[in-house]
Amino acid sequence: MKPSSRTRIILTHVFLILFTIATLYPVMLVIRKSLSPGDNFSRSLNPIPQTVTLKHYKDVIGSRDSAGRQLFFRQLLNSVVVAMITTIIGLFLAATAAYAFSRFRFAGRGIGLNMFLIVQMFPATLIMIPLYVIMDKLGLLNSIIGLVLVYSTTAIPFCVFMLKGYFDTIPKELEEAAWIDGATRFGMFWRVVIPLSKPALAVTALFSFMTAWNEFILAETFLNEETAYTLPVMLQHYVGSHSTAWGKFAAGSVIVSLPVMALFYVLQKYLVSGLTAGGVKG
Amino acid sequence: MKRTKKSSWFSRHRASAAVSILLAFVFVIVGLFTVLRVQTRVQESAVRQRGIHSLRLLVADSSAGLKPDTVARSKAEKFFLLQTMKKYEGQLLRFRFMEGFDLKNLKRRFVGQVQGPGMEHLHDLAARAVVRQGPVVEFDTTEKNNPRLVLALPLPTGDVGIVVRPVDVPPPPAPWLGIFLLLGLAIVLAVVLPPRWAPLGAGGLMALGGALLFAGYRMTTLGSDFAIMGQGFTGLTKGYFPLAWLTLSLVLLGVAALWATGHVGRFFATIKQNRIAYTYILPAMAGMLVLVLLPFAIGLGLGFMNHCNGQFQFIGLSNFWEILSGGGSSITNPLNFYFTLGVTLMWTFLNVFLHVSIGLSLALLLKDPALKMKGIYRVLLIIPWAMPNYITALMWKGMFQQQYGAINILLDNLGIGGISWFSSFWPAFMANVITNTWLGFPFMMVVSLGALQSIPGSLYEAAEVDGASKWQQFKHITLPLLRPALFPSIILGSIWTFNMFNVIYLVSGGEPGGGTDILITEAYQWAFKRGERYGLAAAYATLIFIVLILYSRAANKLSKASEDM
Repeated sequence: MKPSSRTRIILTHVFLILFTIATLYPVMLVIRKSLSPGDNFSRSLNPIPQTVTLKHYKDVIGSRDSAGRQLFFRQLLNSVVVAMITTIIGLFLAATAAYAFSRFRFAGRGIGLNMFLIVQMFPATLIMIPLYVIMDKLGLLNSIIGLVLVYSTTAIPFCVFMLKGYFDTIPKELEEAAWIDGATRFGMFWRVVIPLSKPALAVTALFSFMTAWNEFILAETFLNEETAYTLPVMLQHYVGSHSTAWGKFAAGSVIVSLPVMALFYVLQKYLVSGLTAGGVKG
Repeated sequence: MKRTKKSSWFSRHRASAAVSILLAFVFVIVGLFTVLRVQTRVQESAVRQRGIHSLRLLVADSSAGLKPDTVARSKAEKFFLLQTMKKYEGQLLRFRFMEGFDLKNLKRRFVGQVQGPGMEHLHDLAARAVVRQGPVVEFDTTEKNNPRLVLALPLPTGDVGIVVRPVDVPPPPAPWLGIFLLLGLAIVLAVVLPPRWAPLGAGGLMALGGALLFAGYRMTTLGSDFAIMGQGFTGLTKGYFPLAWLTLSLVLLGVAALWATGHVGRFFATIKQNRIAYTYILPAMAGMLVLVLLPFAIGLGLGFMNHCNGQFQFIGLSNFWEILSGGGSSITNPLNFYFTLGVTLMWTFLNVFLHVSIGLSLALLLKDPALKMKGIYRVLLIIPWAMPNYITALMWKGMFQQQYGAINILLDNLGIGGISWFSSFWPAFMANVITNTWLGFPFMMVVSLGALQSIPGSLYEAAEVDGASKWQQFKHITLPLLRPALFPSIILGSIWTFNMFNVIYLVSGGEPGGGTDILITEAYQWAFKRGERYGLAAAYATLIFIVLILYSRAANKLSKASEDM
């Protein structure tokens, strides 16, 4: 190896290490806060906590409402159920629609695709008030079903685009071969295209899950009872208008972020290929 | 020969004839219901008016003793006076029966406490009249063929007058003749007109007929409240009924017209032809329709309304005018639309620029084949993306805090001195930008990594052989090949940034004085923070939508042009 290239690699490493530390510093501060006593940030910049306590975590997990009902596990359950069902429904709906857009030429295809693109530009504020009225009329306020429906449909457009882009890259010949072997239309979709699209499906699932797991504006608007809250709404309430329980917020943030982080970690090898196949093809 | 022709005529025209007749029936039935419903309402209202009038006549006279001609004019049969005994906060009331007249036979007169059937009912009626401070009317239908009207009216003295009188307005006859005439005409038209035009003719006729009937009945309502009819018929709040009627007519007419031009037939043919494709799309489409497009359409409609205490009122383009004219504030005022638009554009451009340049630089560094531990860097650098963005926003808000925020402490230690981040525009704006850059660059990094992977390494080898410098390689190979791959992501990213509600709302919250609000948070403020101006907020959101549509169109044109180059 040439010496110039060796110094270049070392410089790159130094830069990347510094950049990564700078990037992760805020996260480390949050973790420090979650582990150190008191509700205010200390004036120290050291990301390693001086005294370690799990009090904030205990507070968050042991939180109860005024009637003495356990809150955290109910809210965790709500979040998990909402995110899981949203992912499953969203993925199924997006995959079937994307398959049709990718494989069939039909009247209204262009309009449909355009619509899915335009829908992403809808400002959420515009939709929120009518949506509230519709949910109210359908009796879906304060219910998990309502949230699931809204989340899975709002996640669809982006997912359709990603999946369609990926499906486009799968050669049609494979399906034709399956067709000759006697597969049905659905069989071709289910047994040929779906297994080949793992990266894109993984990324789509990740996005659907994130949409549902992280959303709090609609959740806060639609849910009124503490026991019906999802975790983000609870977290948002720690940062109330009168006082901020930074300790609880930090501990809650760590708890809420961990599952998404874990998913990212597991699925990150798919991230690059799943995301770009859609992007490259537009 | 003739017979075969006839049977084939029917088979050929079966569908259109069936549709025409169906349309005709729909209109007749809707029309009939309207007529009957309106009729009852009209009648009731007229009876009420007359009853109240006669009661007033009697009441006016009762103090000076009843006069025979007043009695005759009032058509009342019985007249009672109830004295108010006790009044608890206008809720629970007790009455003493003072006197009563059988007005058909003035000699029959009830005085003092008379018990008997219906007396409790009279007390109840009197109580309601006092609580309402106005006349209460009831129809007594115990005798089917001889319905009676019972009215109660609170008197200025605090007593209550009650009158029983016959229902004297005969119901207007239902226009059966007209209805059947129209139906017959419709069927004739359906048969006579060329098949494609038949439904249009029949449907149009019925719509016209229905509208005429409706208009006619509206005119005979004798001062009754038009809104009550609508309420009674549809159960909706006032004013919707005529609208619903009109919409239904227009929709059916539209369908008929499309039928006539052959669109409906082609529509069904297309559906049949692409059955499988539509089956695949249907679930997603149905969900989108109900939960995204419907609210969107309603939202667009709200832009033309004014909201006040739960009531919406149509005000045309006023909201848009108010926004686009700047709402009376100068362009340097944060409430001015153009100010906010400017901030939004600057916000979007700066963020996307930083996202792409940081993301791309990192991707270029991480692409180096000689670099080890790429995977670790990549995983760690993705973390900001994986964090829920509201947590990111709140976390950074904590960091920007004046006293305990890490950033000010850092600046202190560097000897620069802390900044009050949210009390003037530029620091607040930059705080938002820093937060959003932090959470946004990993996406661009991942996209760039993928795009770089798709560039064949042989190109660089060839360039190396030709003696091209790194910069030349970047400029002539990487950038041109990267562009088509990055373009969709950049458009998408700019749309996301344009509507990035969480960061603005949670970090600066629009401080100072709404200056750092972008369009989407401004719309939210109008809807939820500044007096529930839902209409104005909806108009704002509509404008955001229009801006984005224009932007993406321009961007698409640009990308096509750059691909052609």
